[in-house]
Amino acid sequence: MGLSDQVEVPQPIKFVLNWGRKYSLWVFNFGLACCAIEFIATSMSQHDFIRLGVIPFAHGPRQADLMVVSGTLTDKMAPAVKRLYEQMPDPKYVISFGSCANCGGPYWDSYSVTKGVDQIIPVDVYVPGCPPRPEALLQGIIKLQSMIQDESLKARYAAKPAPALAAAAPVEAR
Amino acid sequence: MTPAEIGQRFVAFLGADPAEVESSYGTVTVTVPAQRYAEAAAFAKTTRGLDFTFFDFLTGVDEAEAGYGVVTHLYSPIHRHHVLLRAVVPNEDPRLPSLSGVFAGANWHERETWEMFGIVFDGHPNLVKLLLSDEFEGHPLRKEFLLTSRVVKPWPGGKEPGE
Repeated sequence: MGLSDQVEVPQPIKFVLNWGRKYSLWVFNFGLACCAIEFIATSMSQHDFIRLGVIPFAHGPRQADLMVVSGTLTDKMAPAVKRLYEQMPDPKYVISFGSCANCGGPYWDSYSVTKGVDQIIPVDVYVPGCPPRPEALLQGIIKLQSMIQDESLKARYAAKPAPALAAAAPVEAR
Repeated sequence: MTPAEIGQRFVAFLGADPAEVESSYGTVTVTVPAQRYAEAAAFAKTTRGLDFTFFDFLTGVDEAEAGYGVVTHLYSPIHRHHVLLRAVVPNEDPRLPSLSGVFAGANWHERETWEMFGIVFDGHPNLVKLLLSDEFEGHPLRKEFLLTSRVVKPWPGGKEPGE
């Protein structure tokens, strides 16, 4: 990344850089259950998240900036989610959408359901609900965008472990 | 054919072997001895007048001390009648002849019943896990299967009816 991972980008440039990034989020929908329907509703004309700069749908994880995990993640599906997350280019963000993706939800005691997508990949924003309304996802996107606006590129890129080894880092550490 | 007549055909086929016939809400359940399960299914499929050519599902039921029940639902599109073909296998060493030679569709149902209940289907061409991940241990639909989440964190409400 050149200099930006060694020195803090000075303020006017940093603002413009982050402003550009936060309104150009190609989204990759990891739809796993009924929450995906709410996600699709958010992408359609009534709620229309394109007006927030969230562009549906990236052609694949390699073209995406943002992954929205919407639905019940099972232990059998977990390796696929991790693999596709690792295929996304940095900087990448994850929104965990709905109770199942947050913590297992109503399947908290199931033998086959992973207790939250944050067990395998780092999550930036959690959207609660079962399923959350489209407005909740819009709020989550706005939350993520304000995080991107304040983000320090130096902190994000400097001395980052290899993606395969990266543990679920809390949001503040980014 | 009425449920009673369907039951009679199975009883006549099994001869000396015990068959139990129950009928509720127009559907007949025929319980056959485990070793003759595949034979009874083939009889149901190929016999003129019964013509149970449509295989709907096969699944297991954990009946506690009584063993594991295996229930197969068959349908006849010609006569529009149904039958539930049932067999009970013991808790220790649950084994049943495979129906996959009679109904090809039984293949995946038996794989699922095998991984969920641990019932072995003799003669199955490919008895490997279907839905569970390869490293999964245990048979989760057995009543004795412990849900680790509930062991770690007790649930304050009622877990099962009557508990």
